Amino acid sequence: MTDTNTTSTEASSSEQEQAGTRGRDRRDDHDRRTAVRERYGEIAADEGTGDDRERNVEDDGEDCCSPACCDDDREATPVPPDADAQSLELGYEPDDLEDAPDGANLGLGCGNPVAISNLEPGETVLDLGSGGGFDCFLAAREVAPGGRVIGVDMTPSMLKRARENATETDQDLEDVDLEFRLGEIEHLPVADGAVDAIISNCVVNLSPDKPQVLSEAFRTLRSGGRLSISDLVATEPLPAAVREDPDLVSACVGGAATIEEMEGWLEAAGFREVSITVEGEWGGEYDGEELPIVSARIEARKPETVDD
Amino acid sequence: MKESLLEILCCPLDKHDLELEDAEYDDDGDEIVSGTLVCTECGERYPIEDGIPNLLPPDMREGTPA
Repeated sequence: MTDTNTTSTEASSSEQEQAGTRGRDRRDDHDRRTAVRERYGEIAADEGTGDDRERNVEDDGEDCCSPACCDDDREATPVPPDADAQSLELGYEPDDLEDAPDGANLGLGCGNPVAISNLEPGETVLDLGSGGGFDCFLAAREVAPGGRVIGVDMTPSMLKRARENATETDQDLEDVDLEFRLGEIEHLPVADGAVDAIISNCVVNLSPDKPQVLSEAFRTLRSGGRLSISDLVATEPLPAAVREDPDLVSACVGGAATIEEMEGWLEAAGFREVSITVEGEWGGEYDGEELPIVSARIEARKPETVDD
Repeated sequence: MKESLLEILCCPLDKHDLELEDAEYDDDGDEIVSGTLVCTECGERYPIEDGIPNLLPPDMREGTPA
């Protein structure tokens, strides 16, 4: 607790700085977060009743973080037949889909972070942008008995769904705490060093301030703790028109960082053993040009001893 | 939310501990369904509604029907 005063002083002076010189950026960031939250709120509501889950992703091709996301008036990319089929392609096992409650899998991911995070019973896991809770349920299975899984998401209707899904499967999760809270991944409401592993699935790209997300992730991890993220990244810088298109940002494409940017931010946050592995082409075109977007496995570790 | 989870929660703004006020529990008595989390440092108040703590920073909470 001794260094928390310093931290809060730094936080407030950097906030003042942002309020002054970066006032416009802050407003833009706020607008961008609001746009993302509204879009995902709509998805959660659309998918809301559970019995209509069969017709989720293919309906309008507008659901996010699916290859179908950027096809409205641009070149179409193949539309996945449904969320479960898409998840199998992304590396989930049929058992995963069976074990998670109906309606938890919204088909919004771009990988399987639980599979790469080597969770052990008893561990505490934090899911950044937990959405319908699908990865949280799978993580809960891995850390039982005695573990804890905390899902943070900024979209109230997503969290409501996740919590309803959790209630449905209570009997399977007796030996593990699975909790959801409304929060921002740039301002995690989680204590320092409280977490063994952080997972996240196709969410970090949506943040207007990725360096801060990664430094918050670092703060909440214990020494030796690990980060296992599935996300979309760009293999070369994206055109400004793509980066600034609110629809493409909400679709997880516009905000994709380059691999070099992501590596630099992770190292600047303090992470070591940084590894970004391209999993596959993501597809999507803009203005007749194929977008250089790939799905990737982003892994890193907080060192056992932090150099101060 | 379970009370045991309180120990790893913190204020999203200044990362100080949170204190639970006005807690109401479910029928089994192990789940907090409503109440308020108050930052021990800055005094910011975060509501717990339907069992979910709303720990969004205040400027993001506007317009949140939580």
